[in-house]
Amino acid sequence: MALDPSSRARFNLENACVLLLDDTSIGMSILTQMVKGFGATRLFRCDSVEQASRIAQEQQLDLAIVDSGAGGQGFDFVRWMRTNCNEPNCFTPVLITTAHTPVAHIARARDCGSHITVKKPFSPLVLLERIIWVAKEGRPFLFTDRYTGPDRRFQEKEPPKGKARRQDDADSRLTLLDEPPTPRKAAS
Amino acid sequence: MTFRMVTPKLRLTELLRQAGGLAVADAVANAEQGLQSIRPTCLAELKELLEQAEACLAATGELYDEAGVNDLYRLAVHGIGGGELCKVPDVDAALASLCDLLDAFRTTEVYEREAVAVHLRAWRLLMSPDAPGQAPELVVQGLRKVSARFAA
Repeated sequence: MALDPSSRARFNLENACVLLLDDTSIGMSILTQMVKGFGATRLFRCDSVEQASRIAQEQQLDLAIVDSGAGGQGFDFVRWMRTNCNEPNCFTPVLITTAHTPVAHIARARDCGSHITVKKPFSPLVLLERIIWVAKEGRPFLFTDRYTGPDRRFQEKEPPKGKARRQDDADSRLTLLDEPPTPRKAAS
Repeated sequence: MTFRMVTPKLRLTELLRQAGGLAVADAVANAEQGLQSIRPTCLAELKELLEQAEACLAATGELYDEAGVNDLYRLAVHGIGGGELCKVPDVDAALASLCDLLDAFRTTEVYEREAVAVHLRAWRLLMSPDAPGQAPELVVQGLRKVSARFAA
């Protein structure tokens, strides 16, 4: 998943609708500066689950970055999104940020239906890596009686040594970040 | 038991690939620049959280008080991330240790006021970016030992 911080590979978040939910002013300020720095312009900043729920019912969201909150309310919001929102928002990639996960909230964190969890503090590079990762994964989505969300069973494996990668494997990995073409030397 | 599996097509995947946008290096630099601009405000907020936590501790007694512990936990959680931004990263580590401690108190309903007090004193000490050498690291190690004593 590692992203080279000096990479000239490009990505475009300009037209993505991004929901940010964090009830702490420090957390929201940090998230906003990072996501704006990545070029996102359509941000919905919410400091409460109620506000975020309204936005999720009114807007088509391409990405949600949700803080778990001291009481774990962020987990409940994601679960609500998965089970109550219409398509496409029920499938929206969700990154959970968390400062600390109390013992009592571990099952809620696991079962809420987020794509990935990022532990605070995190750097801009780490957040960007995770955003790109959730976008290119193409993970199956499960609807069961007890869980709705992206399939939690996944592995990022390199192809076996000495063997060519199967065509299926190659197709499932989308190349989101294309390095700009290297300029050709003029023929002498 | 019902079971359904779909592989949704994500609009984010297409948007990220659209022409234009930013290079990774430029995006990260922009974000760092933005973070730098909010550092003074964040530092002030972190100090305010500390003062609130100290006031909260002062208002609690020696016995386990669920509301007091919850308030302290909320204040500590709110501060995490601010230390890294304000160039005092050991504050984040101290706050994470404080959260572990308070969570253990909530789980076991055991309480030791002095264990919280030492975390708050360390928080104040670690707010100074001028702490010498390895001192902040040693302070954090000590705090982790304290919170580990109460781990459920």
